[in-house]
Amino acid sequence: MSDTDSDSEEVRTDGTGIVPPDDETPSWQERKARHEGLSRLTYEYFERARREDQDLRQQSSYVERDVLAFPTWPHEMIRNLALVSFFVGMIIFLSAALPPHIGPPADSSSTPAIILPDWYLYWSFGLLKLGPLNPDISLLGGQKLMADRTYGVLANVVIVGFVAIVPFLNKGAARRPVEQPFWGAVGVSGIVFAFTIAVLSVKNLIQMDSHLLFDLTFLLPIVSAFLSYAVLRSMREGYMFNLNRRYYRLRPPK
Amino acid sequence: MPLDEDKYPGESGRRRFIAGVVGSAALASVGAGGAAALNTATSVGGGGGGPTQYVAIENTDGPAPRGMPVVPVEVTSGGELRGVFPEATTEELGGQQITVAEMDMGGTTYSSAWFQYCGIEQYEGAQPDADADDMLRSASGPGYAWQSDLEGGEVLTVDMFEDYETWGNGIGRDGLGKPASARWRSEAEGAKTIPVQVIRSPEIPKMINGEQGFRDYSNLPGGVRNFIDAATDQGFMAWLNKCTHFCCVPSFKQLEGSTNFGGADGVYCQCHQSVYDPFSPVKKQFIARPRPTE
Repeated sequence: MSDTDSDSEEVRTDGTGIVPPDDETPSWQERKARHEGLSRLTYEYFERARREDQDLRQQSSYVERDVLAFPTWPHEMIRNLALVSFFVGMIIFLSAALPPHIGPPADSSSTPAIILPDWYLYWSFGLLKLGPLNPDISLLGGQKLMADRTYGVLANVVIVGFVAIVPFLNKGAARRPVEQPFWGAVGVSGIVFAFTIAVLSVKNLIQMDSHLLFDLTFLLPIVSAFLSYAVLRSMREGYMFNLNRRYYRLRPPK
Repeated sequence: MPLDEDKYPGESGRRRFIAGVVGSAALASVGAGGAAALNTATSVGGGGGGPTQYVAIENTDGPAPRGMPVVPVEVTSGGELRGVFPEATTEELGGQQITVAEMDMGGTTYSSAWFQYCGIEQYEGAQPDADADDMLRSASGPGYAWQSDLEGGEVLTVDMFEDYETWGNGIGRDGLGKPASARWRSEAEGAKTIPVQVIRSPEIPKMINGEQGFRDYSNLPGGVRNFIDAATDQGFMAWLNKCTHFCCVPSFKQLEGSTNFGGADGVYCQCHQSVYDPFSPVKKQFIARPRPTE
């Protein structure tokens, strides 16, 4: 035996002999998980399936290649049957437990005193009531370019378009609002606007002057945007200060 | 070597011929089917619509595009209220037989096309040649307290409105008129109900004379005043009670909420807060929808 062999047998204390675990090496959590209860059962089940696959591959004359999935029968089918029976059971349970809700047919010759869409559509219903924002164009002799109802429908397109564009303007890399106060403020004003426009849609039920309510619908989101920007901005300074303090406590400047 | 050299089956004159026949047949059938589908989707939707001049109670606020059409009223010799519907005549126009219901009402052409919007053009009572009951009958489930002791379908009579000069229900100003919810030309079996709002108001004679009343009626154009003179009787006035916006049924002095939207002395629609002013009749034009034809 040469020197090099005896060198490799030796335990080295400088850390160079430690080989980092590769992908195949189970983590300690995985090793522990395989020895108890359901996780052990699951492991055995999958291991057995894997083993069967391996045996089949070895017996087969087919060109060896990676197995991308489990067989449909029984593996996939058993899982699917479990899911299907759960949802069928839920449907049967709900249809048995919920009271039937089918009213008489609508009477087109009378309208109820309070008539509103479902609550989650209030924001869109409120956008239909933006008539006062529809500009009169002086070139048309004070006439409106489009009817108020067309205007309300187009307002929906604008809002949905804006919501769709936001992810392209900001990827959402910030983990917390203080990291990007501007976008935090945009989000807050959006939430406040969703609320105020919903309140505007039920303006006939709100005991408030409807013109004041209309103005508040658009002022409150702006005010809340400025407020939250100021608050987040000042919070960010404190936040950065804390981070810096921790950093310098760990690594004091020389 | 071309890429499809090893293609199976190989290209041949016979195969090309068959591909051409099958391909052209497929194209032809797509074309014919598409034309048939287009024809069905855009088929002519009946007759009797188009641009129509009418007299409306003015839309003063809210998203509604125009006012609601006035229904001419007359009081019969028995003191009952009757809504006037024009007599149907069959005319020959461009070689086609067309049924129109038109008449002259105070210098304005009053036609059944006034009511052809919001699906009412499909109602039996709105057909020009319908043999319908013209009496104004109390609506079933009316919104006015005074009407609740009337049976649904009872004919409205003048003596029900005797207190019209002082009537009030706490909404808006008292004495502007006494309202009633009515239905009209809807008594036939299976016919859909045409909602009509009736008021008897001391303002109507002032409107006809162009005097100063609740509003300054001297500004009303002469043609409109002549129409109102012909279309009202003993202070009774009526209009088709279908909001021109989204076809809800609004009401005159019925809902508390109307006060917030300036509709306490007018007609207020609870759906989108449109307001109409019955004391401001105006001439309007709209595109009447065509009636379904068999």
